[in-house]
Amino acid sequence: MAQVNRRQFLKISSAFLASSAAAGMGWPLISQSSDAQEVLGPDRIVPTTCEICFWRCGVDAYVRDEKVYKLAGHQHHPLSNGKLCPRGNGGHGLLYDPNRLKHPLIREVINGKEQFRKASWEEAISLIAERFQQITDQYGTESIVMFSHGFGASFFKKLFSAYGIHTFSAPSYAQCRGPRSEAFKLTFGHSIGSPEGLDIANSKYLVLLGSHLGENMHNTVVQDFSTALSRGCEVVVVDPRFSVAASKAKYWLPIKPGTDVALLRAWIHILLKEKIYDVDFIEQNAVGLDELWDGVKYATPERTYALTGVPVDQIVQVARDLGRYGSSALIHPGRHVTWYGDDTQRERAIAILNALVGNYRMPGGIIKQEKFTPIQATLNQKKFKPYKGDFPVTRNAGHTFQSKYPFASKIPANEIVNRTISADPYPIKSWFVYGTNLIQSLGDQPGTLEALRKLDFMVAVDVLPAEITGYADVVLPECTYLERYDDLDNRSYRTPYVAIRQPAVSPLYDSKPGHEIARLLSRKMGLSDLFKDEIETYLDKQLKPMGSSLDELKKAGVLKVGETKLYRQPGEVLRFKTPSGKIELASQRLEAAGFDAVPQYQPPPENPPGYFRLLYGRAPMHTFGRTANNRVLGELMPENELWVNQIAGNDMKLKHGEYVYLVNQDGVKSQTKIKIKLTQRIRPDAVYMVHGFGHTDPRLEFAYQRGVNSSDMITSLSIDPIMGGTGMNNNFVTFTRS
Amino acid sequence: MTEFVTNKINPHVLPNLHIWGWDVAIYLFLGGIAGGLLIISSAMILLQKGGIFNPSERVEEYNKQIQIASLLAPVVLGAGMFFLFLDLEFKTHVWRFYTHFNLTSPMSWGSWALLIFFPFSVFQAIVVCRFSSKPSFLFLARWEKLLEPYLNKIAAVNVHVGMGIGVYTGILLSTYYARPLWSNTVLGFVFLLSGISSAAALLLLIAPSREKQFYTKIDMYIIAAEGFATTLFILGGVTGTESMKNAMFYLIAGPYAAWFWILFVLSGLIIPLILETLEAIGKIRFSPLVPLLVLVGSISLRFIIVYAGQDVPTFA
Amino acid sequence: MSRKRNYAMVIDTKVCVGCSACVYACKAENNVPEGFCRDWIEEKTEGHFPELTMTIRSNRCQHCEVAPCVTYCPTGSSHYGRDGTVQIDRDWCTGCKACLAACPYDARYIHPKGYADKCSFCQHRLKQGLEPACVTTCPTSALNLVDLNSNDGVFGQLIEGREVLKDKVHAGTRPKLFWLH
Repeated sequence: MAQVNRRQFLKISSAFLASSAAAGMGWPLISQSSDAQEVLGPDRIVPTTCEICFWRCGVDAYVRDEKVYKLAGHQHHPLSNGKLCPRGNGGHGLLYDPNRLKHPLIREVINGKEQFRKASWEEAISLIAERFQQITDQYGTESIVMFSHGFGASFFKKLFSAYGIHTFSAPSYAQCRGPRSEAFKLTFGHSIGSPEGLDIANSKYLVLLGSHLGENMHNTVVQDFSTALSRGCEVVVVDPRFSVAASKAKYWLPIKPGTDVALLRAWIHILLKEKIYDVDFIEQNAVGLDELWDGVKYATPERTYALTGVPVDQIVQVARDLGRYGSSALIHPGRHVTWYGDDTQRERAIAILNALVGNYRMPGGIIKQEKFTPIQATLNQKKFKPYKGDFPVTRNAGHTFQSKYPFASKIPANEIVNRTISADPYPIKSWFVYGTNLIQSLGDQPGTLEALRKLDFMVAVDVLPAEITGYADVVLPECTYLERYDDLDNRSYRTPYVAIRQPAVSPLYDSKPGHEIARLLSRKMGLSDLFKDEIETYLDKQLKPMGSSLDELKKAGVLKVGETKLYRQPGEVLRFKTPSGKIELASQRLEAAGFDAVPQYQPPPENPPGYFRLLYGRAPMHTFGRTANNRVLGELMPENELWVNQIAGNDMKLKHGEYVYLVNQDGVKSQTKIKIKLTQRIRPDAVYMVHGFGHTDPRLEFAYQRGVNSSDMITSLSIDPIMGGTGMNNNFVTFTRS
Repeated sequence: MTEFVTNKINPHVLPNLHIWGWDVAIYLFLGGIAGGLLIISSAMILLQKGGIFNPSERVEEYNKQIQIASLLAPVVLGAGMFFLFLDLEFKTHVWRFYTHFNLTSPMSWGSWALLIFFPFSVFQAIVVCRFSSKPSFLFLARWEKLLEPYLNKIAAVNVHVGMGIGVYTGILLSTYYARPLWSNTVLGFVFLLSGISSAAALLLLIAPSREKQFYTKIDMYIIAAEGFATTLFILGGVTGTESMKNAMFYLIAGPYAAWFWILFVLSGLIIPLILETLEAIGKIRFSPLVPLLVLVGSISLRFIIVYAGQDVPTFA
Repeated sequence: MSRKRNYAMVIDTKVCVGCSACVYACKAENNVPEGFCRDWIEEKTEGHFPELTMTIRSNRCQHCEVAPCVTYCPTGSSHYGRDGTVQIDRDWCTGCKACLAACPYDARYIHPKGYADKCSFCQHRLKQGLEPACVTTCPTSALNLVDLNSNDGVFGQLIEGREVLKDKVHAGTRPKLFWLH
């Protein structure tokens, strides 16, 4: 079709040549060819699911000469709507990264020096099976744990569950969203989910605390944010830094870092005191209002100003705006929320505020999301039965992992690290690490390194030689998302969908897809019954009960239904999965466990003199350290910069653009240098950098030693006693030139 | 306080333009000299015995300087063209200059003008060099015979073509209003005068001592005029739009100021003017240093204008 | 004969977050070599902490109606497309860089192969009825391709009630990027 159009155009264009040339006041002396340049189109377009971050947008991979040269948002995928973030646009930079892991590696001592040697898959897989068997025989399956990030891990989880390994952890919990999940479960009885069940697009008043939407570039969220802005949504940004979102805001409140709970409490105070909350909604659906008032009685705007530095009139104005906008106001709970160790309580305060404005299941508020029902039935109910035989639990662990944090619904990764070091209550001897660079993601790097030394055996499955792979005994090269099938993506969303990840091109080098690695392992681990079906048959079998097929989904990329019942109906009786069946403004469960029923303010540690609080965040073109070596994305942002307030920087005699080392409050010096950005856009008491740079593994040739790794500087973790989250923002740095 | 951040990565565009370098500066210098040589030699042909005032007389042997100037003009311009060619990014497409004429493009005019410059300057050289008297160039005798009756007409054309090429080297830059330092009509005049003065200086350098005073005088008058033109150029800049004003101050008071004032104005204009005046009235003896200063000043002018013009912020 | 189009772009700075998706999409679509770009992001912050304002915009060739690059191109390589865009014919370009010097927006660069290059509004896509790659990918919908000769009302809707700025209008170039503030 495209070609036909082109031919037509050529004809017309020659007819117009004379006139267009005359418009330039020039005369071609010989006839000019068409004005268009030949731009080659794709041989085929393959719809699949992105994994440059974990949002899982639908993407179209444009393939020409068996090379993916372009990625675009899939038109019908509800997370992309035909659009794509910068990182997704640069996915081919991962696929063609020359530093990719190309074949299995086994650590060996050669001439007294530990080094990796190239191995065959057969050899590497056999070694893993053998070592797992030894560790199981000696310590039990509980001493093998798996860390993962990304939904490619599903096959390994099935495999290990069948083997009797039950300790699965992901840094996306205690290092990221965990406090939010637990706070919303404690308040509303369910978590906010991912993708978040928030109706940002219809919000009329949006409060962002540290959420730097636009720099934190989850495609759909930014689309919704933009829609809200276009519809005239008023935005309030609470952030020590003048973020991109702050530049769109009606109010930017450059709060003193670590005092967010105080500000939230003041807003609750004003809403209650002036009785401008949703009185009817709270009366019908919430418990603990009186205790809530008792808890925030003294959180006056005046006191709060003294704590937060936010002027009284602005505190009051925002609270009154919240009251005025009511159910169309939204206080965004954020995403990466492990900041100061008080994070569950801060998220609780946010949940309470959302409850008070009455936005629960209202346009512009918190909404209910659902899974794509047909496949849900398939997976969880009768029709899934044929597959149950595929995943038998062959042995049970002697111990199961019991977190010491009472509200940790998932296993905090840092707790595994600590127990690996202490071997208490039982030894942890082996880690299986899938697609997560624990060295950079956990904070407290010395702790992680110590734990790694305690291990008997470690396996890393990754696409790139991230730092963690350097500590593994066996490294398995997985192919990228553009070269493999994965499980179907079927999560709760406002427009329920099921989407496919399928290979756009065949795996490069000697890399293999996760499902194939898991299958090979299952054979060696004595679980031949697992993964009986080839991946395509397996996916097809899941899709058949939905009236679809793999062939159909391979072409369509995504199946979806219309928006579910997002909003509550007038008079609808709401049930919450809390002990009281209602929204718990004061939490009896927290109180019973020895915590505050109503969030109380805990002052954060103050800056040591001459030190700046280290804050970190994201840039639109990078996904933490995962993309730092991506040459396509790195072109526009090859390194991170340290934002320092212009005046504070002048006082420290820092020059814009110079490179310095950082030293933190524990005397730890950064391994690399960072470029100084002197700017008006940050408070004088804090500095800011984008997380994910400062790679120290020379195998990452592009990213090697570019910028500083914020985790290097985060040696002090403020653990959230409620769910074990690792607050990372109580670290302070200063500068040194040598 | 303004912070400006961009992720535009194109080289030679940001933070400032840097598309034209030494090769273009040298081309502008050589182009100016070539124009100057042609103007001077053609004018002398026209004004002397056998010229337009007494055309009936035949000149048996042309003045050596006229011969050299006529011969050098196309050679120097050819060398200049070579440097210009060096600057082209798509050298195999150089012939494209002659498959199109763009009325509004000075460069288009310039490239077509070459088609007049080269044959006409060569015609002049053939006649005035009297190749027929040199055995190894006898093959040119036929051409000499053919062209000689038209010499005055050829020279008349050449005065104008020389002017055109001289002015063109300035116009080439001054039509870009996006570049506020260049965007100054007087620049063409400055470059023309600088080209003629350089040509005079060159001839002065190689002239036999009895003729030196003649070229000194030419150079002296032209340098004086160039000084006026330069003053107008500066005034035009500082009284222009904000962009132009900033650009001119960047030249006369910025990082290029020392080069501009010392290398061009002082040692390229003022000192030679004084010394040449003293030479002309016979107060001091001729020194080869003076024409050398003029030539250095002239080439410096091209370098300074080419580089500073790209350094200044784009028209805002 | 179909109606003559006159393409322009309306860019909403209020929603643009400067993510650079447009830049990456353009580079992949047009095979722009490493180290070069046809579009880019500009971020201008004014004021002093904490009284700050910031404007973010995605920028590219303005496809001027009176384009200095076309005016000064000696070979006719830079020319007006029949759809109101400004295009470069690589086969005619000598790499003389007159257009780079002439462009008040510094929108061009020299391709390593020797010719001048810049945004074409993805002319090859326009012909297929597709929007430019940057417009298609833009997560905030800040970029909008419009046909000024069309009477579909899209342009009017986009700019209604908005402050519309054009860049360096006093250059007389009649640029066709419209910035909404």
